[in-house]
Amino acid sequence: MVQYSSGLDTAFAAVADPTRRGILERLGRREQSVTELAAAFDMTLTGMKKHVKLLEDVGLVRTEKVGRVRTCRIGPRRLAREAAWIAKYQEMLEARFDRLEDFLEHTKGDR
Amino acid sequence: MTATMPRSTITTPTDREIRVERVFNASRDRVWRAYTDPAQVAQWWGRGNKLVIEKLELVRGGHWRYVEHSPDGEDGFEGRYREVTPPERIVRSFEWDGMPGHVIIETTTFEALGSDRTKVVSVLLFHTPEEQNGFLHSGMEGGMNESFAALDRLLGAKA
Repeated sequence: MVQYSSGLDTAFAAVADPTRRGILERLGRREQSVTELAAAFDMTLTGMKKHVKLLEDVGLVRTEKVGRVRTCRIGPRRLAREAAWIAKYQEMLEARFDRLEDFLEHTKGDR
Repeated sequence: MTATMPRSTITTPTDREIRVERVFNASRDRVWRAYTDPAQVAQWWGRGNKLVIEKLELVRGGHWRYVEHSPDGEDGFEGRYREVTPPERIVRSFEWDGMPGHVIIETTTFEALGSDRTKVVSVLLFHTPEEQNGFLHSGMEGGMNESFAALDRLLGAKA
């Protein structure tokens, strides 16, 4: 049994970062390799590995290496799925407002 | 990914709510139409993904269902309208196919700031005894208060 030395604070600090929330949100839908995640966030493999490790250390993400591919999925912490869920809503709200702003801007004058 | 300054204000008024507000440079009527005319909703609600408005019955008790088609697959969202007060307020239930049975109540208010600016406030009220239980009995340290204090910090960190 894995022990998580870090407390709740660390878990939440792990998801205070928008990229890591994005990672959880994606993994909430389906498992992905580190390479896929790096591509999705337009990030180097090294950069993505750091984020994944941080999430893994607090139990929010679980990874498994088969051959050369490291697959990531939502972790064993029961909080993980809820954190992914809430992260999803936050990201969605922000992204929607951005889009709405663009929409209202370019339909200006339409009546 | 470049981090941009969020132009919205996100807060957690209570343990069960997420509140987001933003001011748009458009009249309240235009913003109302953007939220309620299916042809307009389809142009922004999907966040750049193709959005199919399967239902938008804008009356109390009416159904709504939107399906977002992204490269990762389909995401369906649906619920029913609890209150429709043009052009001020919409209250509806909100359920994501990915978390079936976890219903959120979404309240959106539109406040006119003069003739061409509108403040939109969206509040998501989570009805989540299961999640609370999950937090409480997940074997993590601390009780509910600590959990929610931490959650509050998480949500506050975005603001």
